Amino acid sequence: MNAGLQIDIERLGTAAQTLVQDLHLKVPAGEILTLMGPSGCGKSSVLAATAGTLASVSEGLQPLQFDGRVQLNGRDLTTLPTHLRGVGLVFQDALLFAHMTVAENLLFAVPRALPLAQRQARVQQALQEAELSGMGERDPSTLSGGQRARVALMRALLAEPQALLLDEPFSKLDAALRAQLRPWVFAHVRERRIPVVLVTHDEQDVADPQRVVHLRATEESPHHV
Amino acid sequence: MSFLPAFLLALIAAVPMGWALWAAASQALDVSAWQALWADPQTLRAWGMTLWTGLASTVLVWWTVARLLAHGFIRQQLARWLTHVPALLATPHAAMAIGLVLWLSPSGWALRLVSPGLSGFDAPPPWVTTQDPWGLGLILALWLKEVPFLLWVAATQLQREDLRRRWQAEFALAQTLGHTPTTAFAQVVWPQLAPRLRWPLLAVLAYGLTVVDMALIIGPATPPTLAVLAWQWLGDADAAMQAQGAAAAGCLTVSVAILAGVTVMVLRAWARLLRVASSPLLLQGESPWVGLVIGGAYLAVWWALAVGSVSGVWPFPQLWPSLWTGDAWAQVIASAPTVWTTLGLAAASASVCLVWSVAWLELTPRRWQQALRPWWLLPLVLPSVLWVVGLYSVALQWRLEGQWLGLLLAHAVMVLPYVLLALEPAYLAVDPRQSAVVASLGQGRWTDLLRIKWPLLKRAIASAWAVGFAVSVAQYLPTLYVGAGRFATVTTEAVTLASGAQRSLMSAYAALQMLLPVLAFALAAYLGRPRQFEKIGSMKDNT
Repeated sequence: MNAGLQIDIERLGTAAQTLVQDLHLKVPAGEILTLMGPSGCGKSSVLAATAGTLASVSEGLQPLQFDGRVQLNGRDLTTLPTHLRGVGLVFQDALLFAHMTVAENLLFAVPRALPLAQRQARVQQALQEAELSGMGERDPSTLSGGQRARVALMRALLAEPQALLLDEPFSKLDAALRAQLRPWVFAHVRERRIPVVLVTHDEQDVADPQRVVHLRATEESPHHV
Repeated sequence: MSFLPAFLLALIAAVPMGWALWAAASQALDVSAWQALWADPQTLRAWGMTLWTGLASTVLVWWTVARLLAHGFIRQQLARWLTHVPALLATPHAAMAIGLVLWLSPSGWALRLVSPGLSGFDAPPPWVTTQDPWGLGLILALWLKEVPFLLWVAATQLQREDLRRRWQAEFALAQTLGHTPTTAFAQVVWPQLAPRLRWPLLAVLAYGLTVVDMALIIGPATPPTLAVLAWQWLGDADAAMQAQGAAAAGCLTVSVAILAGVTVMVLRAWARLLRVASSPLLLQGESPWVGLVIGGAYLAVWWALAVGSVSGVWPFPQLWPSLWTGDAWAQVIASAPTVWTTLGLAAASASVCLVWSVAWLELTPRRWQQALRPWWLLPLVLPSVLWVVGLYSVALQWRLEGQWLGLLLAHAVMVLPYVLLALEPAYLAVDPRQSAVVASLGQGRWTDLLRIKWPLLKRAIASAWAVGFAVSVAQYLPTLYVGAGRFATVTTEAVTLASGAQRSLMSAYAALQMLLPVLAFALAAYLGRPRQFEKIGSMKDNT
C-alpha cells in the first residue's frame, strides 16, 4: 500500500514543549481526512511538518522540531524542501498576492513547462470553475471572502499537487457561505483523486465521518474515533 | 538554515564599526588630554550650552510628536499627514539652518518685512539673532528638523498593516468602554507606540547634544557647543589640541550615555503615570497649530533658499532683491565634480546598505536580529565627532584615508541604521505563511523573492534606499575628515559658504543639498507606487 499520504509523527514541538506525539495518519488518494482539536493543540503544526513549512509557524523564535516521517505515494518527503514536495496548502486567509490580478495569481501556480497559451487556458478554466469568469483582471482585494477562498483553492489545485492540506479553510467565512463553499471544495478536491487533510475545529466541517482524527491540547496520544 | 551567511553578514558590518569604536575609544581616553580639556576655560560653558540646547530641543520634539500623533490618530488624519513627512525629512540639517539664517539674521526677511515701516530700521540692527548666545536659534532648527524624523519612525510602525488594524480596533474598543477618544489614545495606543519610539528618541537626544554642522551655522559662537569645540580642536595642527578634541568627543559620549539613561527613566515614570492617571497627561487638548507651524516653517525655508540662490544686489530693507542673477547656479553647474561626488557617494552608500539590510533580514534568524539590533543602531546614538575620530583611524590603517572607498565606508556606517530602521518594520510584517504558500505551489526561494516578496515590499525597499541617500547627502563631518579635505560635496560647500558673505552661492548649494534628496524620494515614490488595477466599472465592458 504505497499510494496516498502517510504522516508518522514521533514527536513534534519546541525543545521545551511537546505539541504532538505518536500520531500516525494515512490518507488514501481521493479521500479527505479531517483533523480536529481545540486551538493550540498543534493541528496546524502537523500540516506545516507535512508541507515542510515549520519555519513559518514557529515565527522563528522558538523553532519547532519534527521527529518523524512523511511519505507521499511511496516517496519519502521528510527532508525535501517544500517546493519539491508536491504538497498544496490552503490557509483560512486566502493569502492572494496583492500585487497581482486574480488571473496572475492563478497563472503563477500553473507549471511553467507548458506553453503560455495553454497555461492561460487553464487559468480561464479555473476561473470558470470558481464561478469567477470575467473577473480575472480584478484586484484580489476587491473580491468577497467567498470569492477569495475559491481563488485560493483553485490556485493550489493549478499547481497540480499530489496531496492537499487545508488549514481551517472556512473559519473566516459566515455560516451561510461556509455551507455553500464546503460541498464545492470537497467536490473539487475529490475530483483530483489526491489525498487531502483538512484541519478544523468545527464539527460541521467534517468531510468524511469515517475519517476523523481528534487531537487533544495535552501531550496524551490522540484518540481515534 | 545555515548560519554561515548570517555570520559573514554580521562580520562585514561589525568589523569596521567595532574597529572604529575601538580606535576612537583609545584616543578619547587619554588622561592628559582630559586634564587639558578640564583646564580649558571654554570647556565648562560649552558643555553647559550643549546640555541646554540638546535637552531643550529633545523635550520640545517629544512633546510635539506626542501631540501630533495623538491628534492625527484620533482624527483619523494621521496617514494623510505622514505622506508629507518624507519631504520634510529630505531637507538636510545644513539647508534647514541656512534657510533659517536667511529669515532670522539682522538683514533677513523677518526684519525686512517690518522695515522700515514698523521697525524704523534703515540698516540691519547690530543684533545677534542667528548665532544668539542663548542657543535659541539652534534649538529652533533642531526642533524643526527632528520632529519629522520621529514622526517618520512612527510612520514606519503605523504602516504595518497588522499593528495599525489592531490599534484601531483597540482604540475603538476602549471608547465603547466609556473612554473619550483622547483617553483611549493615551491609555491604549500611546503606551504601545511610545516604546517603539524610544530608540529614535535617544537618537534625537544624541543628535541634539552632538550636532556640528547645524551648530556651526546657527548655533552660538562664544562659546560654541562642546561638539563644535571638539571639531575645531580636532582640526588643529597641534597634536595636543587634537587629543583634547578626542577627549571632548569622549566627554560628549559619556554625557549622551548618562542623559539617555535619565531619559529612559523619565519615559518609564511618565508611562506609569499615564496608565493610572485619570487624565491623559500632556496629550489632552487640540493643537493643530503645531503641525501648521512646522509645515509653514519648511515652506518658508525652501522659499528663502530658492529666492536667495538667484538674488544679486539686495540692499536692506528692500523686500525683494533689486537685481536677479543666475550667477550662483552657473557657478554650481561649473563645479559639476562636487555634485557628482555627492551623487555617487549617496547612491553607492545607500545601495550597499540596502543590499546588506535585505540580506540581513532575509538570511539571519530572528534571535540574531534582535540581539544585534542595538549594535547596528549605534551610529545613531554616538556623537559623530567620536565616529569620525574612529573612522579616520580605520581609514589610515586600511590605507583608505582621502580615498573614495574610505569615504564610502564612512558614509555607509552612518547610513546603515537609517536604512535598517526604514526597512525592518515592513520586512518583519510579511506573513511567513505567504512564503509557505509560494513553496507549496512548487516555486523555489528565488521565485518567491523576485516575484512575490520583494515586489510586495517594493515601496518599503525604495523608500529605505531614498532615506539612505538623503542621510549620505547630508553628511558633513565624515566627508571632510575621512576624505582628508580632498572631497567636496554639496554639503561641505554649503556649510563652508555659510560663514562667508556670498548669500546667493550659499543659498544655491543649500537648495541643491535639499533638491538631491527630494529627487531621490520622488524616484522612490515612483518606483514604489502601488499597482493600478483596472477599475471594476471598465471591467464590465470586457465581459
